[in-house]
Amino acid sequence: MSIRDDPAAPRWRRWLLNRFVLVPGTLAIIAIVWNAWVFTHNHGKIAGRVVDASGRAVEGAEVKLWVFNFTTFVEQASTQSKSDGSFQFTSNPSHNIQLSAEKPGVGRSRIPVRLYFQSEDLTLKQPLQLTEAATEGK
Amino acid sequence: MTRRQRRWPIHLALIAVCFVMLVPFYWVLKTSISGENIFSYPPSIVPRDPQPFYYVDVWYAIPFARYFLNSVVVSILTIVANVVLNAMAGYSLTQTFPGKQIVLMLFLSCMMIPFQATIIPAYLITGKLGLLDSYLGLALPMFSTIICIFVFKASFDAVPRSLIDAARVDGLSEWRIIWKVMMPLAKSAVATNVILSFIWSWNNFMWPLIATRSQDMQTLPLGLARFISYQEDTTGALYAFCIMVLAPGILLFLLAQKEFVQGLTTGATKG
Amino acid sequence: MSVTAIDTADVRPRFTRRRSTRRAILIWSFLAPSLLIFLLYRILPLGWNLLLSFEAWSPLKPAVFIGFDNYQEMFWDDDVFWQALWNTLGIIASAPLGIAIALGLALLVNSDIRGRDVYRTLIFLSYPLMTVAVAIIWRWMFDERVGLINFVARSLHLADQPIPFLNSFTWALPCVIAANIWQMLGFYMIIILTGLQTIPGNLYEAAEIDGANSFRRFLRITLPLLRPSLFLCFVIGMLNSVTSFDLIYVMTNGGPGHATEILVTYIYKLAFNQTRFDYAAAITVVFFMLLLAVTWAANRLSGGNVGAVEHD
Repeated sequence: MSIRDDPAAPRWRRWLLNRFVLVPGTLAIIAIVWNAWVFTHNHGKIAGRVVDASGRAVEGAEVKLWVFNFTTFVEQASTQSKSDGSFQFTSNPSHNIQLSAEKPGVGRSRIPVRLYFQSEDLTLKQPLQLTEAATEGK
Repeated sequence: MTRRQRRWPIHLALIAVCFVMLVPFYWVLKTSISGENIFSYPPSIVPRDPQPFYYVDVWYAIPFARYFLNSVVVSILTIVANVVLNAMAGYSLTQTFPGKQIVLMLFLSCMMIPFQATIIPAYLITGKLGLLDSYLGLALPMFSTIICIFVFKASFDAVPRSLIDAARVDGLSEWRIIWKVMMPLAKSAVATNVILSFIWSWNNFMWPLIATRSQDMQTLPLGLARFISYQEDTTGALYAFCIMVLAPGILLFLLAQKEFVQGLTTGATKG
Repeated sequence: MSVTAIDTADVRPRFTRRRSTRRAILIWSFLAPSLLIFLLYRILPLGWNLLLSFEAWSPLKPAVFIGFDNYQEMFWDDDVFWQALWNTLGIIASAPLGIAIALGLALLVNSDIRGRDVYRTLIFLSYPLMTVAVAIIWRWMFDERVGLINFVARSLHLADQPIPFLNSFTWALPCVIAANIWQMLGFYMIIILTGLQTIPGNLYEAAEIDGANSFRRFLRITLPLLRPSLFLCFVIGMLNSVTSFDLIYVMTNGGPGHATEILVTYIYKLAFNQTRFDYAAAITVVFFMLLLAVTWAANRLSGGNVGAVEHD
């Protein structure tokens, strides 16, 4: 601000280094960085693990990806968890999803996941924990 | 004699007023980032489980970037046209020419006609011109404003006569006199005009509501108003949208508050 | 006639005359775009409105001259019109309330205290913001279930039941007016402040020496000298609130029933929801007359030329 009023400052500095340039410029840089981040991380990968009530990996659980559509969640894809309990989806198009896992005899689980942008790549930190309680409650 | 009044009551009163002025903003901001169900009672005073996901929802629920772009394009069209046309008209009103009184009378009487009293024919005229649902059609009715013409006239009148005469003797053409001599001295008039035309076009709601059809041409205020009817406002998404719409305006106001206050008051008092 | 005649003795007057016609052309071409806009969007609509109001017309039907039928329907058969008219007048009458509050604020903010610029900025902040967003904010504040106002009222036991402010016939209009005042307050304050700062300080000193207390000084010096500013506020506030289409459209859309219908919203609904352009035009004519009358009255009362305010 003060540099704007300083007649000794060179012309280009007065034009560039004022708040009307710096603030929008900063915002533009943030927007560019954010878009670059989004562009390199939007492959729609969702990875996670399925465990049972005692924390052991569950193999062969049916994991489903539900995508929010207007008012309800609709099923988008399903897969089976591997021997270490891990699963991965590669085609998530949405930013508001739920993941459900179910294995007869072990239990089921359903968690909502919110993403910061559509198709954000995500590795779940918390595994899906299958519990009988949810099954009984159903 | 006690010249110094006690000040804390004044501060107290002003803080209370500022509180009232700011609380509505806070309430909406709080709703937009609160993680709980927004209809749970009693409402929390501070945001509970703050989260940004309402903003994500809004971003994908509506073409926010498109609305923003539309608003920016219409505003820029309006601002540029306003500054150029008003400066030209203001300049000619500083000259003496036959018919000046009639023009002045016409301008003054046009001032008495609020835009809201002309919407039906304005809509029909714009339709006849084939400009409905276009940027030009959205901006055209605001291309020139009488207040700003008089603001320009006042600031051109303040330019010393001798300066213009000197420029004429130097052989400068009329255009160069306006551009090189008068415009630099009318900077505050330009600022006033930019601010006023920006506010009018950026905040304008009624005209875009009438003159746009397709969603592609909707401006921000229109998108915001339509959001209530199209989308459910049972989540905080509407309020996130509201904040997203307000943020550029508040930012701009804080950046150029001196110019804003000055512009808006000259706009009102010069008329 | 030959062009070479210019080179003879009468070169000077010819030159100036040509120069003056060129100047006239320049001036008129400078004025032309603005004039065109005003003719197209101010003068022409006014005439067209008047014409439409005497016709039965819709975009698909040919126009038929029906004389005063539209006006007759408006004044004798249309209760909604009267409701809208009364609401409009009510909103006009509420402008002085906001101005009174703003006067108090301006006096406070004009005192020599630290941080007064911050106060001014914060109070002014709501004015340049988008009215649609302001309307949504206030819709939320007045919300029946979790609005802050209801919450405070219930917490303080001022109300046992939540009050459905915007859905109640008694409360809806005052709520809209309150939101409008909230938005205009900072603007009024700045206008009055500008007026206050033009009052020479030595007037107060003289009055102080004469032994006038501060209330008398306010009554005898401040108020009379502020009269132009106050009436300017009134005219702007009136125009702004009467035409505050955005606020009402978003907050209540004229409802419940027609409890918050004002002439502008009614005109809009008639023309663009019911395609009754002819009848809407007739109401527009009355609306315009009303504005002219009130502006003229305010002008006469203020004794100065504060009118002539553009508003969009």
